[in-house]
Amino acid sequence: MMSIAARRSAIGTCLQFTKPTVNASVFSRLVKDFVPAASANGKVPHLISRVNHIIRPVRDPLLSSQFYFRSEFTGATGIRLAHTDIKVPDFSDYRRPEVQDPNKSSQDSSEARKVFSYLVTGATTVVTVYAAKTVVSQFVSSMSASADVLALSKIEVKLADIPEGRNMTFKWRGKPLFVRHRTEKEIATEEGVNLGELRDPQHDKDRVQNPKWVIVLGVCTHLGCVPIANAGDYGGYYCPCHGSHYDASGRIRKGPAPLNLEVPFYEFVDEDTVVVG
Amino acid sequence: MRYGLHNYRFEVKKFYAQSLAGAPETRLTALDNGLRVASEETGHATCTVGLWIGAGSRYESEKNNGAGFFLEHMAFKGTKKHPQTALEQEVESMGAHLSAYTSREHTAYYMKTLAKDLPKAVELLSEVVQHCSLNEADVEQQRAVVLRELEEVEGNLQEVCLDLLHATAFQGTPLSYSVLGPSSNARTLSRQDLVEYLGSHYKAPRMVLSAAGGVNHEELVGLAKTHFSGLSFEYEGDAIPVLSPCRFTGSEIRMRDDAMPLAHVAIAVEGARVGSPDIVPLMVANSIIGSYDIKSGGGKNMSSRLAAMAAEENFCESFQAFHSSYSDTGLMGMYFVTDMHHIEDMMHWSQNAWMNMCTTVTDSDVARGKKSLKASLVAQLNGTTPICDDIGRHVLNYGRRVPLAEWDARINAVTPKMVRDVCSKYIYDKCPAVAAVGPVEQLPDYNRTRASMYWLRF
Repeated sequence: MMSIAARRSAIGTCLQFTKPTVNASVFSRLVKDFVPAASANGKVPHLISRVNHIIRPVRDPLLSSQFYFRSEFTGATGIRLAHTDIKVPDFSDYRRPEVQDPNKSSQDSSEARKVFSYLVTGATTVVTVYAAKTVVSQFVSSMSASADVLALSKIEVKLADIPEGRNMTFKWRGKPLFVRHRTEKEIATEEGVNLGELRDPQHDKDRVQNPKWVIVLGVCTHLGCVPIANAGDYGGYYCPCHGSHYDASGRIRKGPAPLNLEVPFYEFVDEDTVVVG
Repeated sequence: MRYGLHNYRFEVKKFYAQSLAGAPETRLTALDNGLRVASEETGHATCTVGLWIGAGSRYESEKNNGAGFFLEHMAFKGTKKHPQTALEQEVESMGAHLSAYTSREHTAYYMKTLAKDLPKAVELLSEVVQHCSLNEADVEQQRAVVLRELEEVEGNLQEVCLDLLHATAFQGTPLSYSVLGPSSNARTLSRQDLVEYLGSHYKAPRMVLSAAGGVNHEELVGLAKTHFSGLSFEYEGDAIPVLSPCRFTGSEIRMRDDAMPLAHVAIAVEGARVGSPDIVPLMVANSIIGSYDIKSGGGKNMSSRLAAMAAEENFCESFQAFHSSYSDTGLMGMYFVTDMHHIEDMMHWSQNAWMNMCTTVTDSDVARGKKSLKASLVAQLNGTTPICDDIGRHVLNYGRRVPLAEWDARINAVTPKMVRDVCSKYIYDKCPAVAAVGPVEQLPDYNRTRASMYWLRF
């Protein structure tokens, strides 16, 4: 009775583990003596002699063999006799400086470490998303119009080549483009025209950026023929197909055409050059 | 007394409140050398008396890890006055039970006996603790026993799993040591090591003589003065061992063995220390999560959602929520045993339960948890030995016995918001420590486990 009393484990379940919600110290170790006969008369010579060698498990009839106890007799070293022999390696090489000291609580620096990790992750995510977006849009935009096609959409006209009073025609976007260098007299005439007379009323200054230069599409607004420059009754253009007369501003004055000649988008890059389109 | 439903419930509440208020007071006295004597007179015919010592594996070093455990083995091998057979005979003639346990921060030697045998019991205990004979022949003999015990404990997979949990969670610190110590130390610890351990840690200010049952406090104090006045209270070279804080590391350890039938998995975060005000809300949270065993009845009608799910879907053999508190840190976690095909599910739903605690725990859950916690606190103290143990541990941890009425008041003060806040503080988006033993291939990678410690929806 004494040997069992010395190593009582009956209280075991009650004190040891069953009150998981409450235990202030759950892991009380209760000692179990499972070699009662041996310890009572103190004669265990075979066990003592084994201490100096590697202990072999599953030899003693008192202990049931344990299939999960992995201890092969491989030699003097390399046998793990107990889970307490497992040493968690020292990871100091990988630790951040705030948690190198094992005698300092890691709670104090936990907020800072987390914030750092999340910030780095967040910043990397932003950069990566931006990079991904760039790559994807580069691939997608490769399917849009190429540079040579886009180049066709604009034309650069050297204005010094056009003398006063003369009209020059260029091919632009598959259509004729008229660039006319107007004289002072023509400008004055066009600006003085009464808008009430016009089929498509537009003041001259609404049709030109610089009154000296008129830039219009050379496509008759009636049925699309190309008007002839410096012809017609109004000192502008005359369409030979059906007899539409345009003035020096490209506005329709007589004939079947309903609208004025179209003014494209253009801008003066400098005194001498205009880019249309 | 009428037994209509309404009146009966009222009567029960009255009994509970009365019994709390009327509980016998725990009396505490300190001797000159610092030894504290505490007792509760419950009126039983038997009593439990013992010495609770503030020493354990946490006070050991890598070289002498396991000394406390070894010493416990040596304790009943005879004292200077009573060699082993004489000691055994004394105890047996009283019809008493003499036991001991060692944990990470406490060691206890206690005796259960008839109330009238208190003086003899105290005398024997004083001898066992102060005058243990520790002769060489016994040391060698017990060495073999300790080694066999180490082999034996490999079969207790719960112990193995939780030891590994401590080893990884507190790696590099004394709290990582198992109480048993490594086998190499079991083979090399000498009598000198044990004497040194005794000499540095068995000091009067760190010891409590605790008793519960049909004991008289004055008598106990007198006995203590007689037998324990000689207890040393000075340290050699004035080197008082001071416990330094232990760093918690979120980490994982797996001992995979596909030949085992069941997997044992434990996951824990750093919990609250013993005197922390957060202990009670955390205990309530653990009560809500509860525990489960496939052998128990209840099945899918259990109150804990996790338990009901585990029963219905057959997720596990058992699980329990635990909280181990130490003097300056703690481990709060869940431990479950399941077969190899349900580990992932069980881990997912366990962490889900934790997230629920942190975010959406309901009023009814908290009310249920509070009641069940109060019930288990009361039910635990069902005998002189649990009461004596309670007294001993409380005096070591808190310096006084915390009465049930105080626990009751603190539990009543817990609100759902408090549970959510406290749980978030300890659990939400924290790095856990995971330990797993058995056929654990299905256990998710640590990064997945870490990612489940927060919810994107919040």
